[in-house]
Amino acid sequence: MAATLAASSGTYHQSRHPVFGWSMILPSIVGLSLFQFLPLGTAIVDSFRAFDPFDQSPAGWSGWANYAAILSDPIFVSAITNTVVYIALILFLEIPLALALAMLIDRRLPGTTFARSTIIGALAASEAVTASIWNQMYEPSTGLFNALLNAVGSPNQPFISGQSQALLCIVVMSVWKDVGLPMLIFLAGLQAIPGELRDAAALDGADGWRTFTRVILPQLRPSLVVAIFMTTISSTRIFTPIIILTQGGPNWASANLTYYAYAQSFEFTSPGTASAAVVFLLALLVFVTAAQIRLLRSPKGA
Amino acid sequence: MTMRSHDLEAVLPTTDVGPRPRPLLGDLSRRRWRWQTIGGVAALFIVGFIFVFPILWAGLSSLTSTNDILHHRYPLSWGSILPLRPTFENYALLFGQIDFQRNLVNTLIAGVGQVSLAVVTSTMAGYAFARLRFPGRDVLFALLLVTAFIQVEVVIVPLYKVVQSLGLTSTYAALFLPFACSPFGIYLMRQSFRDIPIELEEAARIDGAGPLRVFWRIALPNVRPAIATLVLIQFIWSWNAYLWPLVIMQDPEKQIAQVVIAGLKSSPNFPMDGPMLAAATTVTAPLVILSMLLQRYYVRGLVTSGMR
Repeated sequence: MAATLAASSGTYHQSRHPVFGWSMILPSIVGLSLFQFLPLGTAIVDSFRAFDPFDQSPAGWSGWANYAAILSDPIFVSAITNTVVYIALILFLEIPLALALAMLIDRRLPGTTFARSTIIGALAASEAVTASIWNQMYEPSTGLFNALLNAVGSPNQPFISGQSQALLCIVVMSVWKDVGLPMLIFLAGLQAIPGELRDAAALDGADGWRTFTRVILPQLRPSLVVAIFMTTISSTRIFTPIIILTQGGPNWASANLTYYAYAQSFEFTSPGTASAAVVFLLALLVFVTAAQIRLLRSPKGA
Repeated sequence: MTMRSHDLEAVLPTTDVGPRPRPLLGDLSRRRWRWQTIGGVAALFIVGFIFVFPILWAGLSSLTSTNDILHHRYPLSWGSILPLRPTFENYALLFGQIDFQRNLVNTLIAGVGQVSLAVVTSTMAGYAFARLRFPGRDVLFALLLVTAFIQVEVVIVPLYKVVQSLGLTSTYAALFLPFACSPFGIYLMRQSFRDIPIELEEAARIDGAGPLRVFWRIALPNVRPAIATLVLIQFIWSWNAYLWPLVIMQDPEKQIAQVVIAGLKSSPNFPMDGPMLAAATTVTAPLVILSMLLQRYYVRGLVTSGMR
């Protein structure tokens, strides 16, 4: 990717100043090495280490023992499943919803500014703070959602304290919070579609649905790829709503890999297995994104 | 997959354009068109209501005493949503006993630190990657894009160790230093510098300006909108921090507001619902309003971050 970017940037005009160039990027290189690559390297190294159970100092190499330990841990296995479930649910809810909202907003009817502003507002609000607010609404005994259900005569739901509902509650909150980002990407894509294309489809007698599937959707392909990509990455590392709404519970039902790694190191003070979980998570992230690049690559290879 | 930045202009809010021109239609379709319009407007207001509701509800409930909140929230009544007996006691408690303004100042310190460092490092590196040639440039840029994958939640444990070994635990610097270099910021600035017509810089160079002068006098003034975008996005990101400050800051005097709010979640014995919602409103309202007013810059940044 870097090579193609460099080729298109008009290298003829660029000045050669190796020292100046290097000193301009030096602060970033130092910062990223120290706070991104060093932690990453530490995680990989630590995942092959044994640690003293009392003071957590390194106590020799342990080979694949940490990986064996987490893989035989049923909680870890359920965390893998949950991670995949989070990704799948968020993708299947958020992408169609974002597309529908973008199409609605693209019609530029009265009320558009209001709707778009509130969606962007949710996107800008702090995740921890909105999770705390949603926590009040989800509250199982006297929360607002149960008050609503009660008013229409439905039985109360356990929501975040329910074994089968906790994960779904986190998904709903995350979709509400984050749907604006793919929506804005779709909006950019929709506004780039030439108006003549839609007019031509209308003249040919295509109805709304046909115009959508035959004209709009193919034109939106690049936006779809980007939106799916970003949503996948953000849903893989979902964390703050989990720690605030459910602490991974009940009974680890809503814990994903990120939360598992966090719990291993800060609740169970087990740096070796925590690092192994981190490396596993990163490997999963690389695998999922690589698979998506393969699947979503446009047929022409463009 | 990459989008050039002039495509981004298309997504910027175009508030005053009015509805799309109505197609030429027969009577029957015109009636259908009108119903679709009414349905669309109704849908827009329902959508807006759903997205504003939680924040609005927190704001309204923050004007209700904790006792009233707990009594009126369930079963559903007007009191579940509206402050029937408005009071400022939550805010009084928050800014009195809880000393929440101290946490707000801490959040601001972390935000200003992160924004200013990120702007400096991103503009410098962005310009170098856009306009200068030096050995290893393309490899380094590719490596940099890789770091966009590594998020703080994932490497929190080893990052904690790094910051600890630097002796920075529980310092203000620990709150923002790890985010001082942003792959997103560098990418954004690189794209913006490349959109400047090269002739501007060429002309200055022919006039004998050195590279630093070209950067400072010619290139930088031309990317002001991108810098505004970067400032806004970095500020919002720093405002969204939670896990990192929770872990690295063990001094409650220096803790940021967002972590304190999550800590105020009601406990059965001593409910703090009122102050929590007051604090949530205090922290959320300015940012939501800021993002709405500066939508132009915010959207541009978000869409660019999507293109990284």
